[in-house]
Amino acid sequence: MSALPDSAECRSLLADGSVMTVTATRRPRFDRADVKCNAAHAPQLAGRMLTVVRLARHTEARFDSRDQVVISIDRQPGEHERDWELAVVLADRMVRGVYRPAAPVLANGWSDDWQLGRVDGRDTIDAPAHALLGGPGGLAHLGMLTGQPDAAAAVASARAWFPLHSGGVHDSLCWVEVSVYPAPHDGNANHGEEGDSIAVPGLDATQQLAVRRALAGARHFDVRGLGRWRSVVRFGQPRFHGNSFELALVMADRIARGREFVPRGRIIATGCSSAWHAGRVDPVDGCAPKCALILRHAAPGDRILLPAAWASGLDAFVRAAAEKGASVACIERIGII
Amino acid sequence: MGTIAAVTTMTTIARLFGWRGRGAPVEASALGVAMIAMPMAAGGVLPAGCGAVVIDTGGRTRRAPEGSRLQLAPGESAYVFHPGPYTADLAPFAAAPEIGLQVSFAVDNPDPRVAQQRFDLFLASEAQGPLALAQFSRAIEAALQRALAQGNLDLPPCTSPAEWNAFRAGFNQLLYVRFGVTVEECVPVDLGESVDFAAVLIARTLAQQQLAPAPVLALAAAPVACPARAMIAAPDPLADARALRRLFLELPCVMCALRLAVLPPGLLLFRRHQDVLRRLDLVSVAVSTMPALALAAPGVALAAHQQLRRIHHSRRAVGALDEAWALLARLQLSGAAQRETEFDGLFDDAARIVANLEYELGERRMATVDGAPA
Repeated sequence: MSALPDSAECRSLLADGSVMTVTATRRPRFDRADVKCNAAHAPQLAGRMLTVVRLARHTEARFDSRDQVVISIDRQPGEHERDWELAVVLADRMVRGVYRPAAPVLANGWSDDWQLGRVDGRDTIDAPAHALLGGPGGLAHLGMLTGQPDAAAAVASARAWFPLHSGGVHDSLCWVEVSVYPAPHDGNANHGEEGDSIAVPGLDATQQLAVRRALAGARHFDVRGLGRWRSVVRFGQPRFHGNSFELALVMADRIARGREFVPRGRIIATGCSSAWHAGRVDPVDGCAPKCALILRHAAPGDRILLPAAWASGLDAFVRAAAEKGASVACIERIGII
Repeated sequence: MGTIAAVTTMTTIARLFGWRGRGAPVEASALGVAMIAMPMAAGGVLPAGCGAVVIDTGGRTRRAPEGSRLQLAPGESAYVFHPGPYTADLAPFAAAPEIGLQVSFAVDNPDPRVAQQRFDLFLASEAQGPLALAQFSRAIEAALQRALAQGNLDLPPCTSPAEWNAFRAGFNQLLYVRFGVTVEECVPVDLGESVDFAAVLIARTLAQQQLAPAPVLALAAAPVACPARAMIAAPDPLADARALRRLFLELPCVMCALRLAVLPPGLLLFRRHQDVLRRLDLVSVAVSTMPALALAAPGVALAAHQQLRRIHHSRRAVGALDEAWALLARLQLSGAAQRETEFDGLFDDAARIVANLEYELGERRMATVDGAPA
């Protein structure tokens, strides 16, 4: 596992259009307070930052009293602005290694329930495309950074990641998010097609059909999957080709429906199937470049799922992933063991 | 009428002389099914197949011989327990209620190599009154969820057989070290029969809808809401006492087991081991000299909100104690398997847990928090 950084930065967009930088540094605590916030000439703002950080820490499983985190901001937000809250929380997590982003982060969002890990909304309207935005439609829950569902929300949604590989510089991991709501109960179990209850906004018709077919098949494999849910599937990036996203989609669906063990980090999966109703996982193309791409983005706690046909000759990859704290499984079928 | 009066007089006399239901059989029907252990009065006969643990005022335990009439010295109390096996369904992840583990566990025969059985210590320090199976499996579930969330046990999606075996080994050791029970069988199960996740989500939606109009009514409801909040905030001295009792009884046992842990040779590791033990010794002293909850100084009462803060910290110290037991289980496994590379991380975790214990107990000791130091 890589060593923790001594300091971390997270940016946020202010209402006047300028960019604020939140810097978090870590040092031995020596009987001092566990968090200290600095805001020049604004003790009230520092107090608010402290409250936000302390509340957000309630959602973490591991408490370490050995370090003190000092958080400071380089600009002063307006009197009633709250959009910087998410950036402060993320900076605090980055410096302790709880959240390890691959690229610099620009985050905007505020919340009334940081102690539950929820992000209620954001105020900014002209944020750049790479920005991490809180609230509905974006990051609604801090666990969503690694794809985990909010264990107390009325809508269960989970994310999984799959490699987008085209051989160019834009190769990256793309997420797929499945949100499920209970379907209204009308007595008869076999009403309509499962595919009709699955909405896939933003994709073209053929891809929508592929998504619906894969999900309906995988839910058929699962005894309790059919006829219980209305679902919405969203992709981080709507333009892609091929069907190697299917395994990630199916895993996100199973986690959202509460029927799969939850990984500590993200699920990164690639694989397709012509027989999801039997739970089978078929191989896809591009083993070597996809493995290299996954390895580049792997973080501690991540779970990497690959088709069983790739298992031979992956020893070096498995070792390298384990060094980064991620675990690899080559699977023949989904489900328990 | 005369008979009833005579019986009443007899009962009064019996109570007066301390004849508490001499020879009366204990309510044994539930033992071994829904009850794991229940308190027993002196003079009772142990039911067949059950064991008994006698606990004195200082928390020291001994086993009563099987099938005998229970003899208690003044100040001692006793629990009778059925060794099982028991079966429980656990949900390892709070966010995935429809998948779980079916665990069957038992209180094993006493291990002759140790001075005190872990299960006896569990009864002495944690059982308050009868110990129901449901309550015990909730405690196991909490320990399991915590170990998984911290990454000390791994149960990832699409678990491979090798990962499952590693999980089982860690889980067995965790339950043995933390609760003193032996896992006989553990299989993944579909909990969909008993838990309907869709219904859970609907219930959450309804709860949120009921909460939503609250701000509108806040003005009218404010006078009523305030006393309710005051009642919630009343300090619970018993919670603090229980937490400190657990620390007082269990810390010496944690230290004893840590001292006996098998470590690979090496001066650096030896030094870290000694350092952790030394600091735990000081923590132990801090627990046994902890000031009373309600007093800021001799004869000076402490404000209620400060008492609440103290209770909060003593409960968090117990959380760190639970982590110490879990760490001990991992140390023993790594020592037995001679995986020497893991010890660096384990001792880093040990230093973290000891630091947390020191921090929480220091906060518990403080009477006031005057202006947060820089």
